[in-house]
Amino acid sequence: MEKAIFHHPRAKIQDYAPIVGRSTIEELGALAERLSGKVIQNINSTFTGGGVAEILTRMAPLLNQLGVDARWTTIKGSEGFFDVTKKFHNALHGRKEHISPEDFSLFLDVNKKNIEELKFQGDIIFIHDPQPIALIAKKKELGEKWIWRCHVDVSNPDKKVWEFLRNFVVEYDAAVFSAPNFAQQLPIRQFMISPSIDPLSDKNKELPTEIIDSVLNRYGLDKDRPIIAQISRFDYLKDPLGVIQAFEMARKSMDCQLVLAGGTASDDPESEKVLEEIRERASGNPDIHILLIPPESDMEINALQHAATVIMQKSIKEGFGLTVTEALWKGKPVVASAVGGIPLQVKNRFTGLLCHSVEGAAYAIKRLLSNPEYALWLGKNAREHVRQNFLITRHLKDYLLLFISLYYNSDEIYL
Amino acid sequence: MNEWLTKNWLSITAPTIVFMAFFVVAIWARRTLFNYLNGLFFKIKWEGSEILLRTTKTPFFQWCLLMGAYTAIQISTLSPQAKVLAVRIIGSVFVISLTWTIISLAEKLLHLYLNRLKALPLLPTTIVINVARITFIVAGVLILLDIWGAPTTPLVLLLTIGLLVVILASRDEMLNIFSGFELARGKLIKTGDYVKLESGEEGYVSDITLRNIQIKAPDDRIILVPNSKFTKTTVTTYRKPLKKATQPFRFYTRLYMKELTGLKAGNLSELVSILKDVPDSVVYYHTHNFMEEYQYLTPQPANEFAVWVGDVIGDEILAEKLSNIDTFEFSTIGELRERIIAVINEELLTRENGRTAAEGREFHFIKSVNVILPTPYVAHDLREFVEVLRKVSIDSLYFHIFESRLRLHKGVNDFSVWFQDCLDERELADKIAVLDPYNYTLEGLRSVIIQLIEERIK
Repeated sequence: MEKAIFHHPRAKIQDYAPIVGRSTIEELGALAERLSGKVIQNINSTFTGGGVAEILTRMAPLLNQLGVDARWTTIKGSEGFFDVTKKFHNALHGRKEHISPEDFSLFLDVNKKNIEELKFQGDIIFIHDPQPIALIAKKKELGEKWIWRCHVDVSNPDKKVWEFLRNFVVEYDAAVFSAPNFAQQLPIRQFMISPSIDPLSDKNKELPTEIIDSVLNRYGLDKDRPIIAQISRFDYLKDPLGVIQAFEMARKSMDCQLVLAGGTASDDPESEKVLEEIRERASGNPDIHILLIPPESDMEINALQHAATVIMQKSIKEGFGLTVTEALWKGKPVVASAVGGIPLQVKNRFTGLLCHSVEGAAYAIKRLLSNPEYALWLGKNAREHVRQNFLITRHLKDYLLLFISLYYNSDEIYL
Repeated sequence: MNEWLTKNWLSITAPTIVFMAFFVVAIWARRTLFNYLNGLFFKIKWEGSEILLRTTKTPFFQWCLLMGAYTAIQISTLSPQAKVLAVRIIGSVFVISLTWTIISLAEKLLHLYLNRLKALPLLPTTIVINVARITFIVAGVLILLDIWGAPTTPLVLLLTIGLLVVILASRDEMLNIFSGFELARGKLIKTGDYVKLESGEEGYVSDITLRNIQIKAPDDRIILVPNSKFTKTTVTTYRKPLKKATQPFRFYTRLYMKELTGLKAGNLSELVSILKDVPDSVVYYHTHNFMEEYQYLTPQPANEFAVWVGDVIGDEILAEKLSNIDTFEFSTIGELRERIIAVINEELLTRENGRTAAEGREFHFIKSVNVILPTPYVAHDLREFVEVLRKVSIDSLYFHIFESRLRLHKGVNDFSVWFQDCLDERELADKIAVLDPYNYTLEGLRSVIIQLIEERIK
């Protein structure tokens, strides 16, 4: 199935010029010119839902506006197929999953069927995530450039699943990972392309004070007292109990309130349990607010992040951590654990504070609340760091460079 | 016939004698008056004197004769109706002659003065002359109509309305024209000046016309600015003529992507071991990446080896020693690599291997893959150079300062090479060559270079 992406009502590439500078947009145009005549075919498993679809929904129209013929196709699969790929996903994250030989067979059968049915039309075939990875079998016949884009944290994968997938990965011309520690020993070129946020999206755009105030009123928050916030899915890996502990330690000497806001994942039965547990833990403390945010509440999340004095991400394990990127973009001082992709974003004492314990988190909160000027300096750096490294325009630039670099082997490419 | 002459000789002779007297006086007056004027103009050295005398000499004589004819008719015995008709004819001939003379004189004087006023390049001579010609003809026609008793008020009204309509319809054009006069009168700009408008547009003034000013931007775009807009906006002009380069400077930009090597080190020994074998582009990445990634920070973090050793391995002393390696001292990546390895090995001789990095905090070796492409910006002299330097991306600045010096083995930045080789600006080239770019943020470096150039061309 191919998606019509040419008249998407989202932001125009020129709308980003006031944020990243005109010269950056000019450079994107210059790179795009070099891909004139080439068709980039993105293939993934769904047009809606999930991070990959969200990225492609934004990126593909912008690539088109730059003059790159970027197309988007999805594979078809049965419910059983997607159950298997969900297991693969969990296993790549290091979770123990039982995957039977029948599961592997089903995975291969669906990919084979898609090879027969799909219309391959790209000069560069850009495969996203494990679901369509086995389409690479078509490469011998087509002879085009093939890239595998891994959006999953594979820093500590289940060996059995990784070995199975690796057989396909090595057939590609290049693989792309989101962080250095996701890299594997592979005989093909591997590139690092960090995820990004869209500064013009509802979740990240500037908001008027009235909207922020109305959201605070709706959730019964006091806008005159400092707000410590962690906005993340209710999951043990985000350590919400550790956040409460750190807050309680800081609260002894600093007047502040805690907001733990997030949603529960429908495919994660544990999240309800986590929510129940933290509600129980926080009961009786009027300064702790547990907010269950419904899906599609981007504006509310944005308002809460804008209203926060300090934003926390005290994860025990983390992927890249786009919630941290969002907080940094809002110019907020961030206290976060040094896990996953967080150290790429939070350079300790320059763009935020890293912590390794509950005590470290509590100390960091106190430092920031008692030194507003330091907090402001960190926030300012944080926003510039995101502007330079984690906005969608940088992501576009990396994709354009990736496509171009497929045609060269040198470390210095003169165009 | 004889009888009629006998009766009327006096009424014929008197006007004839009066006319002949005017003829004689006209000859004398023309000679006397024009000789006097010749002498007068010679003394005051007025450039238009010859034109004035040559153009009016014959008409003056004609006007004297017309005056003689008028006087003769007045003393003649013609009937009053005949006298009125004759006077109207004489008046009409006089008005036509006078109008013709004034037009002729105006044309010649305007030619003389408009050609001499070189500061008014936008004044179109033919248009001004035509406007003067039409004005005098209209005035002459109105006087003629008055002489013959025709009503002139409706015509005057019609002409006024027509003129107003033309002015209203072309008010923008008129504004541009008047603004052009203002620009020329004030000698504000001239072709060849380098101007910068409030809107940010800038470049060399390539042409000045009645309606607009053409500006050639550094990226070769032609910008047309209406004169009226030009006079209303803030304009910075840089008039000092600058030396043109023997070869123009083309700005390039360098964009990079991160290629993962899959290699990682968990302790100092592994770090050294891998560092010995990785390509130069890996060493370059880890000693330069922070310049761009943290380009907004002052002071910037040190090279990534130092940061990792301090933050993850917890060896503050070694981290300080690695931070203190002055990249600017080295002219090749190989030398820089050797120095880093030597500093780590030196420390390893005196202590244990140090702490092992926690899982997920290992040092991952990354390679920089550079894509270099031309920008549309070209500079032919220092003024153009400094204006382009203000607007190019930091990637472009980075390429010409850092890449060319170390990674491309030129030993010096591209700007200094161009200043010296193509502009013979040795002093400026040296000042920029000795700047240690590692001590600045990229924006800070941009400001310093701009300042140095501006001081030179001030």
